[in-house]
Amino acid sequence: MEKFMFIFEGVQPGNLSPEHMQEHMGKWMAWIDKLRKANKYVAGEPLLPGGKLVSGPNGKSVTDGPYTEGKEVVGGFFIINAKDIDEAVELSKDCPDLGHGSKVQVRQVMKVEVGQPA
Amino acid sequence: MDQNKNINQLVDHLFRHESGKMIAVLSRLLGLQNIEVAQDIVQDTLLQAMSTWGYKAVPDNPVGWLYRVAKNKAIDFLRREKRFHEISPEYGYLLESEYTLSSTVNNLFLENEIQDSQLRMMFACCHPSIAEESQIALTLKTLCGLSVNEISKAFLTTEETIAKRIYRAKEKIKTEKIQLDVPQNTELSSRVDAVLKSLYLLFNEGYKSSGSDELIREDLCEEAMRLCFLVTQHSLTAFPRSKALLALMCFQASRLDARLDDKNNIILLKHQDRSKWNRSLMSKGFELMEEAAEPFEVSTYHLEAAIASQHSAARSFEQTNWKNIYHLYEMLYQLQPNPVVAMNKAIASAYAINKENALNELRQIKGLENHHLYYASIGEIYFDLENKPEAKKFYQKALDLTSSVYEQQLLKSKINNC
Repeated sequence: MEKFMFIFEGVQPGNLSPEHMQEHMGKWMAWIDKLRKANKYVAGEPLLPGGKLVSGPNGKSVTDGPYTEGKEVVGGFFIINAKDIDEAVELSKDCPDLGHGSKVQVRQVMKVEVGQPA
Repeated sequence: MDQNKNINQLVDHLFRHESGKMIAVLSRLLGLQNIEVAQDIVQDTLLQAMSTWGYKAVPDNPVGWLYRVAKNKAIDFLRREKRFHEISPEYGYLLESEYTLSSTVNNLFLENEIQDSQLRMMFACCHPSIAEESQIALTLKTLCGLSVNEISKAFLTTEETIAKRIYRAKEKIKTEKIQLDVPQNTELSSRVDAVLKSLYLLFNEGYKSSGSDELIREDLCEEAMRLCFLVTQHSLTAFPRSKALLALMCFQASRLDARLDDKNNIILLKHQDRSKWNRSLMSKGFELMEEAAEPFEVSTYHLEAAIASQHSAARSFEQTNWKNIYHLYEMLYQLQPNPVVAMNKAIASAYAINKENALNELRQIKGLENHHLYYASIGEIYFDLENKPEAKKFYQKALDLTSSVYEQQLLKSKINNC
């Protein structure tokens, strides 16, 4: 079994009613439930909007960002178990945000054998 | 955090209801003129909950979680905003010092204070200087957490219309400097009446079937009942007539599930399967009627609840005590001499006295020339008198006047039977 990371990119919908928000959240919870029951879900964290961008030698340049207006804001990530990239992609297709201008990056976590020569 | 906790453990409409509570509390804290700030804070809080809980799990105490986030956002706002006195007349001085800021905010989020804030918000939304239709729209937006889009669907109108109504209500709040107070002494009684009237209209709006979006309209009934319950829970506003209104809502709501068939056709009271009536709502209604009997007062809500209770008490349509109902309508007409009451009184008389009397009473009513139910009732009486051509004529008039799909279906089937 390999580990994969789902990186959720997209804009947070701003104009939802409380009822819709609860409904939308329900879809996410149901998805996680499903992944968990199938032993696929390992972890997940949401990310607050905003933050800083650090660049340059010794982090000389620190700027605000990424901005929430951007389309490519990362809202959070999951770590999941899957046999291979094909299965991971299949699993990602249930993401409730798809179809609402959001994308899921599916990336395989590299296995590094610590203490062993590569 | 319990990893197995899932969304199903969240109460239905939790976000919507908590949104209403938090907007009331925050408006009290920040002052009603800052109601938009309060709404933004709540929106942000719920968005944060949505994106956080959605990735992991629902926290053990979801409501506590929401309040904590909302409190922190409010405190941030207050720290940024220096001129506290312009913020909340009630709490300005306590919010000035860092020492009392957090405890003041925390206190307002205690259960009894939340109820108090909601009640104050009800008084503000139903302020006599705000037009009735705007009162209802503002109530739904602020206290019930419905969006403009949802309200417009429920009222079968455009978002623009609802947005305008809310805008006008908010303008009134600013120009009239309406505060989140509980009215005192002599003013209290009439202000409670305004709140009750608004809740009554809200409930009725949800109760009449429109054929468009039944679910969201039943939500209106539920919200009206929830708020009316709050009114009956507060010592200042628990007048007998408040309880009578809640009793009336219980009786009506007990029949919600029985009034449409599988194909969404209206089932008239006469033909409803009474085993589908909700027993617990009915007994709650009777319980409230008893509570509403003391101290003695007679309001239109008492009489309407009493009429509704007569139906609930009857095992079948035939066993209904029409003499009582007719008598109650006579009393109601004394208190409220309007043509709709007159029409209902006339219909009751068809069973309490006879059809000819009903026809006579109906024919004398002025002011319902554009009311489809008026013509439908006359048609019904003619039908019972076996005068089918006249019945058909009046059913047709009614059909021309209603825009409700359900009612059109019903009337068409009646015309076909003529």
